[in-house]
Amino acid sequence: MAEEQKHQVVMIGAGPASLAAAVYTTREDIETLLFEKGVIGGLAAITDWVDNYPGFPKGLAGLDLAESLRQQAERFGAKIELGEVMSIKDEGTYKRLATTSGDILAEAVLIATGSDYKKLGIPGEQEYYGRGVHYCATCDGAFYRDKHLVVVGGGNSAVQESLFLTKFASKIDLLVRSELRASEVLIHELEKHKDKITVHTNVTTDEIVGKDSKVEKVVGTDTKTGKKREFPTDGVFVFIGLDPNTGFLADSGVELDELRLVKTDVNLQTSMPGVFAAGDVRSGATMQIASAVGEGATAALMIRKYLEDAHQTHEMPAVPATVNAE
Amino acid sequence: MAKNITIFTTNTCAYCGMVKKWLSAKGMHYEEVNLDQHPERQAEALEISGALTVPVTVVTKEDDSKEVVVGYNLAKLAPAVA
Ligand SMILES: Cc1cc2nc3c(=O)[nH]c(=O)nc-3n(C[C@H](O)[C@H](O)[C@H](O)COP(=O)(O)OP(=O)(O)OC[C@H]3O[C@@H](n4cnc5c(N)ncnc54)[C@H](O)[C@@H]3O)c2cc1C
Repeated sequence: MAEEQKHQVVMIGAGPASLAAAVYTTREDIETLLFEKGVIGGLAAITDWVDNYPGFPKGLAGLDLAESLRQQAERFGAKIELGEVMSIKDEGTYKRLATTSGDILAEAVLIATGSDYKKLGIPGEQEYYGRGVHYCATCDGAFYRDKHLVVVGGGNSAVQESLFLTKFASKIDLLVRSELRASEVLIHELEKHKDKITVHTNVTTDEIVGKDSKVEKVVGTDTKTGKKREFPTDGVFVFIGLDPNTGFLADSGVELDELRLVKTDVNLQTSMPGVFAAGDVRSGATMQIASAVGEGATAALMIRKYLEDAHQTHEMPAVPATVNAE
Repeated sequence: MAKNITIFTTNTCAYCGMVKKWLSAKGMHYEEVNLDQHPERQAEALEISGALTVPVTVVTKEDDSKEVVVGYNLAKLAPAVA
């Protein structure tokens, strides 16, 4: 049997957290392989516009930020493989990862798998998925030029995506289960788009109804009056939060919190020695690109320290347990 | 073997970039139809795929049969172009 590939560091996911971490590890000549099952750049790549990433006073397109992060990581030698990691097992010095390209071994692992869009779980959602029900505005918004849309959700993502969809749609009904929970800046932007976006608070989304494989309306309930509400529409975009991508850790021994986010210690190490976590998937993360990138950098330095301790070599400069300034 | 590959894309679709990147890495050529530049071809993409989404990749084989892959789905795309 062929010997498995051995790597110094394998990073699961190639979103902002991993790409930032890879810049740090590869720049220190630590061999690093990233596995990405979706888009390089993660959720940042499918975000239309990022206004709050420090260093870009005018903001920048999420896709451009993702591309720059990728280029920077690859410049120092990071390798990105397009594939999925399905499980992880502690075998002592090495961790065994089952991937779509076969088993591989890694001395240290970074889990930076982020999260995926939550589904509503209502009638019609699955039936019209991709044909009237969507979770990615930058992917599918263009199909709704001069059309009527319903957006479901009341947080930053729902508002941000509604604003993006005004580029295409002629009218948007934003259905919010309770009250809007978006930032002041976004709510202010929403005000400016009152001509196109109508906000309906305290309205649940109960069913997506269509005919001949086409969405026709969304049925909801006004939770204050108990009355049914109907919203005629050509399509529905759902942004009701995120579910952590931690399914592949079931039975691995890597501890999760009650929200299924990965628990770490102050060094971002998980309950499995040599396995670290950073970004949106980490318990306590603040779900921002800047913080994902910061956690990625920290995790990389902690990984370097872990590898040094494991090898007990003095070839590399000693790193304190805290981040060293460079 | 694929004789011809056409990808329907939009400017902001990150998954479209992934399909293009994957095909380029395999040394495969493709024709791109950007629906932001050619909104008149949107109906065509919908008719071919049955979906209101991009990327839609249409692989024309040597025998002129066609295979359509909706989204960034390597499990379907890899055998379709093999
Ligand atoms: C609509 C929207 C708008 C946003 N806008 C902003 C904003 O303006 N500013 C801001 O700071 N933040 C914003 N965010 C949040 C920001 O995108 C995230 O905080 C950031 O992308 C987290 O980075 P990450 O690397 O931790 O995870 P992600 O970006 O989620 O990347 C994780 C990657 O891991 C991959 N993956 C998952 N499981 C596996 C597996 N088993 N094997 C291989 N690969 C796997 C995924 O495909 C994904 O590409 C927004 C989020 C959304 C949804």
